[in-house]
Amino acid sequence: MIEVKDLRKEYCDGEMKTTALDGVSFNIQKGEFVAIMGPSGSGKSTLMHIMGFLDRPSSGIFKFEDQSIEELNDDQLAFIRNNKLGFIFQFFNLLPRTSVFDNVKLPLIYTKISEEEKNQRILSAIKAVGLEHRIKHLSNQLSGGEQQRVAIARAIVNNPSVIFADEPTGNLDSKSGQQIMEILQDLNDAGHTIILVTHEQYTAETAKRIIKLRDGQIVSDETVKDRKIAKQGFVK
Amino acid sequence: MKYRDLIKLSFRTLRTNKMRSALTMLGIIIGVGSVILMMSLGNGAQNLIVGQVASMGSNNIYIEPGSPAGSISQQTIDQLGKVSLKAKDALAIAKDPNVEKVSVMIYGNGIASYLGEDKKITFMGVDSASMEISDLSIMSGRGINDDDVNGMTKVIVLGHKLAGDLFGEDDPIGKNVRVKKLNLKVVGVLEEKGGQIFQTFDDYAYIPVTTTQKLLMGVDYINAILVKAKSEEVIDQVVENARIVLREQHNIYNPEGDLTKDDFKVMSQVDMANMLTQITGALTAFLSSIAAIALVVGGIGIMNIMLVSVTERTREIGLRKAVGARNKDIMNQFLLEAITLTLLGGIIGFLGGTLLSFGASIALTSALKSTWGFTIPIGAVILSLGVATAIGLIFGIYPARKASKLNPIEALRHE
Repeated sequence: MIEVKDLRKEYCDGEMKTTALDGVSFNIQKGEFVAIMGPSGSGKSTLMHIMGFLDRPSSGIFKFEDQSIEELNDDQLAFIRNNKLGFIFQFFNLLPRTSVFDNVKLPLIYTKISEEEKNQRILSAIKAVGLEHRIKHLSNQLSGGEQQRVAIARAIVNNPSVIFADEPTGNLDSKSGQQIMEILQDLNDAGHTIILVTHEQYTAETAKRIIKLRDGQIVSDETVKDRKIAKQGFVK
Repeated sequence: MKYRDLIKLSFRTLRTNKMRSALTMLGIIIGVGSVILMMSLGNGAQNLIVGQVASMGSNNIYIEPGSPAGSISQQTIDQLGKVSLKAKDALAIAKDPNVEKVSVMIYGNGIASYLGEDKKITFMGVDSASMEISDLSIMSGRGINDDDVNGMTKVIVLGHKLAGDLFGEDDPIGKNVRVKKLNLKVVGVLEEKGGQIFQTFDDYAYIPVTTTQKLLMGVDYINAILVKAKSEEVIDQVVENARIVLREQHNIYNPEGDLTKDDFKVMSQVDMANMLTQITGALTAFLSSIAAIALVVGGIGIMNIMLVSVTERTREIGLRKAVGARNKDIMNQFLLEAITLTLLGGIIGFLGGTLLSFGASIALTSALKSTWGFTIPIGAVILSLGVATAIGLIFGIYPARKASKLNPIEALRHE
């Protein structure tokens, strides 16, 4: 489903040239739950941005469902982000003073499906994260954990093939973080491919596979032997 | 993205920043409001003037000394020194079978005194016909008649207000008023004529034209000839005939009818109305364009706030892009927000301007003692709302473009 081969990304800041990704290669199959780990500056965010069609590589191959990013213009990238991908961010990024319903609706306003189907999808996404009772509340009236659940509902409302989660528990207490990971594992069980970026070992171990990065290169790519199940609880 | 969603979205955004939206709109509100007010007042003034000119009688022709060439102000200066019209010119014009009545007029300024009470007045030397043509009616006593003119009698008829100013509660009839060392006996007082813009008949004094010429001013010319045609249909003929007669009288050889060679000008009511319409039209355009400056200033305010808004909402823009918004969607969103602001401001400004114009028409009606018609020109509505929308577009496009070009990753990282 995702093919990454000898991927490089360099940033030019005046005279300075920074290499964020230095020849990265791997494949991700449909239904996987992959955690990308590494210290800050290791290139994990850059990698996620390229895989999330938010940025373009300097060189190398990135293919999503056999489509190469080079062949796509900006509007086509926007279309893929809208239809195939879901994003969850560390700081939730909800629209302030906007209801849960309207926040979850956000990706759907850029699609052409009927109003009726939109409503149906929004309701089932909100149900999936267990926030039916909060549907009319404004985003700033919610706790951190609830806000991140709204963000997850927003990420799944367009029924994406891949969900990207960038440090989703980084800004939450352990109980809320555990709930979030529980939802992500459920979504994975339901067939969604999940790519999780984190620097926390115990969060990464809820995934099925961990890719570790350092200085823009892969240092290890292993299957998790003793996978943590969030439902059973884990200690931060 | 559907336009219905876009419109809903921009209203929601403006609602979340109520105070800021209102202040931003204020520039447009004031701009549109004042343009509407100026255009409405200009239109009202025009209607009033044209109406008054028409009410003077559409069969009337007015002849003044001076050449019709040159600008309006030039003509005014010219005519001050013109002495070309004489009473015998009027008699010659009266021979035209299409003419019903001809009258002559001369006017001057002086001090009228009664029992030590002095008042600066404008006096009109008139004959019996000029009072009739000017539609002046007598309240008490009598008007100037042919015997007065032929006998050069020392009599005076007072305008309604002038009579009140000089005599107060006393009955002026039979009393003597002193004008320029000449004692004149008051024989009549006019009825109140009401406010007029250029003429206040109520303030004037009327004296026989011969008395005015010989005893008050010592001249032999007149300032104007008033001709009343028998019907509206023959106006053009009467105008043309008057020109021919006057050229003959004044020994002007002008077979081509070149008006610039004449030393007089002949104006029908239609000509006068057209001239006045031109003046008020120019004045309205001038005042409206000053008011339009407020619109431009308002537009700059809109741009300023939209730029602030783009910076403030950088993360939101990044998020929208991440979930699938195209550059075009972001651009449309911000552009529509700007247009919503200006159009809403335009509508409020239009309503405010209309209300003010209505208030002004009531105030002016009572101040001028004549009906000031309240009108909102349809052109003003289209113009102001169109301009408001255009301002939103013009001043919104730069911030909107700036928003749409933001890099989604940097936008999401924005603090």
